[in-house]
Amino acid sequence: MIMDSDVVLLGTDLPSSILAAALAKAGYKIIHVDPNDYYGGDHATLNVDEIISWANLRSAPAENERANDYLAAQRDRFVSISYRGTPPPASRQYSLSLSPSIIPSVGPLISTLVDSGVSRYGGFKLLEKVALYHSPGFVQNVPNTKEDIFNNRNISLIDKRRLMRFFTFVSGDFEDKAELHGKQSVPFIEFLISTFTLERSIAETIVFALAFCSSPQEPALPALKRVRHYLGSSGRYGPSPFLVGHYGGLGELVQGFCRVSAVSGSTYILSHSPSSTPTGPLARRRYSISLTGLDETINCDLLVSSIESPEPTSVGVATGVARCIAIINKPLLFVPTEADTPPEGSPPAMDKVVDTALIIFPPSVLPGGSETTAAHVLVTGEGSMSAPKGNWILYLSMPLADSKVSAETVLQPYLEATLTLADEGHQIEPTFSLFYTQLECSSSAHDGRLLVPQITTLISECGDSAAVVAEEMFRETVRALDGLRRERGIEIAEEPIPFWPPLEGEGSNDEVEDW
Amino acid sequence: MTDNASDRSVQVKLVLLGEAAVGKSSVVLRFVSNEFQPNKEPTIGAAFLTQKCRLEDRVLRYEIWDTAGQERFHSLAPMYYRNAQAAIVVYDVTKATSLEKAKTWVKELQRQANPNIIIALAGNKIDLVQNSTTGSSSVSESEDEGEPDDATATPGEAGGSPALDTENVRQVSRDEAEAYAKEAGLLFFEISAKTGEGVVEIFTEIAKKIPIEHILASTRGSVGRGGNGGRPGASQQGDVDLDENANKARDACNC
Repeated sequence: MIMDSDVVLLGTDLPSSILAAALAKAGYKIIHVDPNDYYGGDHATLNVDEIISWANLRSAPAENERANDYLAAQRDRFVSISYRGTPPPASRQYSLSLSPSIIPSVGPLISTLVDSGVSRYGGFKLLEKVALYHSPGFVQNVPNTKEDIFNNRNISLIDKRRLMRFFTFVSGDFEDKAELHGKQSVPFIEFLISTFTLERSIAETIVFALAFCSSPQEPALPALKRVRHYLGSSGRYGPSPFLVGHYGGLGELVQGFCRVSAVSGSTYILSHSPSSTPTGPLARRRYSISLTGLDETINCDLLVSSIESPEPTSVGVATGVARCIAIINKPLLFVPTEADTPPEGSPPAMDKVVDTALIIFPPSVLPGGSETTAAHVLVTGEGSMSAPKGNWILYLSMPLADSKVSAETVLQPYLEATLTLADEGHQIEPTFSLFYTQLECSSSAHDGRLLVPQITTLISECGDSAAVVAEEMFRETVRALDGLRRERGIEIAEEPIPFWPPLEGEGSNDEVEDW
Repeated sequence: MTDNASDRSVQVKLVLLGEAAVGKSSVVLRFVSNEFQPNKEPTIGAAFLTQKCRLEDRVLRYEIWDTAGQERFHSLAPMYYRNAQAAIVVYDVTKATSLEKAKTWVKELQRQANPNIIIALAGNKIDLVQNSTTGSSSVSESEDEGEPDDATATPGEAGGSPALDTENVRQVSRDEAEAYAKEAGLLFFEISAKTGEGVVEIFTEIAKKIPIEHILASTRGSVGRGGNGGRPGASQQGDVDLDENANKARDACNC
């Protein structure tokens, strides 16, 4: 049997899933294929059993085993995998994300969620707290609002004034301002200190806890843009600029986009990969593809893929991110350092137990840790529907300059330090922990397919990056399809197709829609 | 966009399952708009439909999720099952294999869904076999509406049926399906989306079994739009609904 389509999309990672929904809504016939038996690819959300099997499949292969192309590429991308502990009971109640994220409340991803209607499928929670790790058992809380800064007794009046000058600058159109002239590529920390005469410790807080820089050497301009974006996001849904998605975040959103895509007529095929390179051209379509284990042949005009094919060219300096996912059954307390005590009259530290938080380890804060790079720890609990009551998931991540060092070696000190924050003051053991390194591979297009670029791994940017990539790919795909139609003498509309047409009157969800 | 108190209906997420072309969408269409489209295309178009169902002094608002075709290659996402309080598993009484498929969907529900989910098994298309069971052979009336997808869905699968006109012959006896439903703890109905027979009954019988008080009592149990727990008013601290809060947000930005 032959299945006919305009586009075959390979891979259901977040950008591809957004793309599928947008193309399907624009009227294109899409067949969306993923080699995994779950949605989301490298952005999937998995339960504990699933993530163990994910890890096992990507670990060193058994002898004589011949991996399929997809798995071979995955083994190049995910290395240094190890796990410890026993999987907790009720594995299915955990939603573990391969791509942990916090989502700015204003930005491309939130717009895309609302405009596509996928927001009705997803629930979100505000990120409750951002804190800098200080010393065993203690953190330094990052002020959420300007009022918090005003009320902070540990910042001198003159520093407060300098800070306010910086906030006024960074909230505006700073691109053309004199302060930035010729300094766009200056290390962000130097820029803050020299231009705004900020104290180093305050500048570091901005660099690591507001801009989420991995290194103080990052250039000023992109960091400033991030700070502006995040400051502009606070207040939309609450005091925090950031949202955390329910049920594991991006992997859940993937399912929402794929459902919207299916509702608009796309066909979904999980657990299958192309069995050969596409052949063509055909009479009506350019390519024909067959899938392993399926009788159907798929004809299409365009192949769009987020799955790299294994090319042994990826040897060279690989950069990547060391990651750890750990499950704990004691809450973390966010006890401020003495220098950080709240002014009198504020409520005592009742709310120190936090469900959803981001802890940042600036460079050099941790003996034995990195002296050049910051590490992030995202904490999610029952409130984000990602763990059963009384359990929390920790996501550690740190960019790696040298991918030869194992993820466990790199991150274990950070995990131990994080656990000193646990209740009762003594260190606890995670019930389960998984370490791995995710390498950044560059891939090149061959056989005429369009490649969906990789998104950033930065925790506060990956979601927005997916939405931006998806919109670019949407334009490129529509251009390519239009070109083919023109070649075939088919008239195409002059007006550009919108990324998301208005939701009204599309017929979904409007029977007895009275909420 | 208002959730006013007088309309304190209980939301119940209900998912449909069953082999392609057994008439899942037709069952919903009959229930929601009391319509039947003879030559309905395979499911396209609705994210989910909502329909109120009055039961004594309570109003249930069913949020009905159709598979959107994602069942065809076994590609339903965990999100589909999440927080579903009820499921209707549909088979076609004229197609024996569809009951076997229904049984695998029931297993899938037991594996994936909320353990307290209420499952109804529904044998659809009894209008096609009612004439033959009464001895009359006037099947022609049904013939022209035989759902078009049958043509693509049946090849070679209806093994064991020697009848010339397999389309309109009952292949699943009521007794057999009912016995299975009883054993598996499912509600059981034979229905016709075409004539409407039995359709409303499924939804009212499910409504009777839904633990309404329990749902009202627990904040987590209420199904949000899209099945995520925690609606405004009954929501967890810090929960955000992008659509609901967006308007407020615009106000917030001005100050």
